[in-house]
Amino acid sequence: MKFRTNAVSSFEIISYYTGYVVLCTALLMTIPIITALVFAEWNAMLDFLISMAIATLVGIALAGIGWRTKQNRANIQWKHGFVIAALSWFVLMILCAIPYCLSGHISSMLDACFDVMSGFTTTGLVLTQDLDHLSTALNMWRHMLTFIGGQGMVVLALTIMIRETSGAYRLYVGEAKDIELVPNVKGTTRIIWRISMIYLAVGTAALWIDGLIIGLKPVSAFLHALFMFESAWSTGGFAPMTQNIMYYHSLSFETITMIIFILGSFNFGLHYAIWQGKRKELVKNIETQSFFITSFIACMLTVYGLSRANVYPDTVSAFRRIVYNVISAHTTTGFGTVYARQFALEWGDFGILIMVIVMLIGGSACSTAGGFKGLRVGIVFKGLIMDIKKLLCSERSRKAYKFHHIKDQLLDDSVVKSSSLIIICYMVLFGIGTMIGTFYGYPLSSSAFEAASVTGNVGLSIGITSPAMPAVMKIYYIIAMYMGRLEFLSVFALIGYVAGGIKKLCVKSLKFSS
Amino acid sequence: MRKIIKIFVLMFLLVISFSLNVFAAQRTDINSLIEHAKALDNKEVTVQGEAIGEMMNRGEYSWVNINDGTNAMGIWIKTAEAEQITSFGDYKHKGDTVKITGIFHRACVEHGGEADIHSETCEITVKGITISERIPSGKLIATVLLVPVAAILFFLYYKKSRKVTAEL
Repeated sequence: MKFRTNAVSSFEIISYYTGYVVLCTALLMTIPIITALVFAEWNAMLDFLISMAIATLVGIALAGIGWRTKQNRANIQWKHGFVIAALSWFVLMILCAIPYCLSGHISSMLDACFDVMSGFTTTGLVLTQDLDHLSTALNMWRHMLTFIGGQGMVVLALTIMIRETSGAYRLYVGEAKDIELVPNVKGTTRIIWRISMIYLAVGTAALWIDGLIIGLKPVSAFLHALFMFESAWSTGGFAPMTQNIMYYHSLSFETITMIIFILGSFNFGLHYAIWQGKRKELVKNIETQSFFITSFIACMLTVYGLSRANVYPDTVSAFRRIVYNVISAHTTTGFGTVYARQFALEWGDFGILIMVIVMLIGGSACSTAGGFKGLRVGIVFKGLIMDIKKLLCSERSRKAYKFHHIKDQLLDDSVVKSSSLIIICYMVLFGIGTMIGTFYGYPLSSSAFEAASVTGNVGLSIGITSPAMPAVMKIYYIIAMYMGRLEFLSVFALIGYVAGGIKKLCVKSLKFSS
Repeated sequence: MRKIIKIFVLMFLLVISFSLNVFAAQRTDINSLIEHAKALDNKEVTVQGEAIGEMMNRGEYSWVNINDGTNAMGIWIKTAEAEQITSFGDYKHKGDTVKITGIFHRACVEHGGEADIHSETCEITVKGITISERIPSGKLIATVLLVPVAAILFFLYYKKSRKVTAEL
């Protein structure tokens, strides 16, 4: 066994693993190719063959540049893990956009990148035009991206890896996942995928049966069930038709998707704990407590606010139009049972404000959901109570404060501080997004709604997101989705790495010239 | 005299063209329905668009979704009438263009607060067609060039990778 870690540069390590993730994604394109073959969609098949070939060439080139990483079995450090995750997502955004561009349903490469990032980050905002005439293969690809993006592209690559890589945990954390279900990372990623695949089978079957009952044809019911499950479980929000969930006109279909996206927004650790028979975890966990409290308050306030304005005529309407949308926003799913403009025209400022708050809070940490997460909200809230209690207690008394998340954990200032920092980063991202929206002439409430939707990876729109939107806003929304999903650290590491590289180059060139 | 006849003819054409505009304005697009939902709530409207997806049979009545290019909306229509629509828009089909006159509901009580139209009359104005797929030659050439190169390189990479793994 040879270990010559020092001989391999960071650049080679990053290049090798990024290439590996790209090759795994290229391999995934076989699924839409098979779909195109089955449904005799020849144009779509060629689009994916071209895209797969390009992705394979890029993957081999990147892995080839970093080939010595494999030969020397170089160790991955923390900085590598973060940069690999961020860089992989960026490279994949461009490569996965190729079939969109070739399909003719998109007006520019920027729009295609927007849709791919929206899928990867499980946001669900759409710039693809004429969704109703999209090929089954491209629909398969869109929903696959959102499903895989929910679990994580790097998580998928780690699952496929033949042997455990040293430093795999650093790659895993780089993608904003930190739960350890079993002692090794490969085992943990496999459990994450096993949980998702079991839910995929059960959820798709439930939606398929319901699809048949509501009048869809068998094959079409199956495809709709598969796509809607992938979207709901990953809290994505994509749908195969323009009308999103409203296409089905069905309370039962809406209810099933609602159960799926609530489950999808829960921590994988919680799913694993319940599967192991620890049912009390559902009640004791700080994240579920936080989620149920905030979603209950948000639903009640919105129902009360909108009923005062007589927006909906009865209780069933209130459930289907208000509760569904509020929970969809809170779990950062983005399925909408009202038209985008109805939020602006009918819900009023109060309804929009509640939606903005729940979109920013989001779902659970280490789940498919976005937002600044219930765990952090719970920790900051408990931290605040802890500080008040400390103020009121005698200075001599010392008490340890705890919170329950899978196991009892010590609540100290460093935990509260790190949670608060992430929340501040989200708020800054949201603030800038709102400011850009107002700069381009959109009303403040609409700008805030859309900015919260991209920052929290939600996908509900108030009507701003469209192909006609200014390019600067499209670029900012891509950055916001990307940073929000990777929870900042990886992207900061990538920016730092690139800036460091540029600085080194400048210093070298200055030395050379002098 | 010829001048007078010319003026009369021009006036006649103008009147005709204005009256045509009035007829066109009676048809509402779906985005306008949503934008002016409160004003048009429970009023009779006419929309025209392509039938998309498929008909969803719910007994005596069915759901048909139409897209007029501005947006899409559900039409609650008698099943017997809906069955006249034979082509629905998807990747391989351009759906029938249907003209629907019915009552628009901003938040329909019967359908859980949904914005929909309860159809009274349905007319197929343009029959749908099957879209024939034409493969651009550029796409075909790119596939023929890129796929074999990528496949050979991947095979070589995979072989080398296996060899290194075995050595380690």
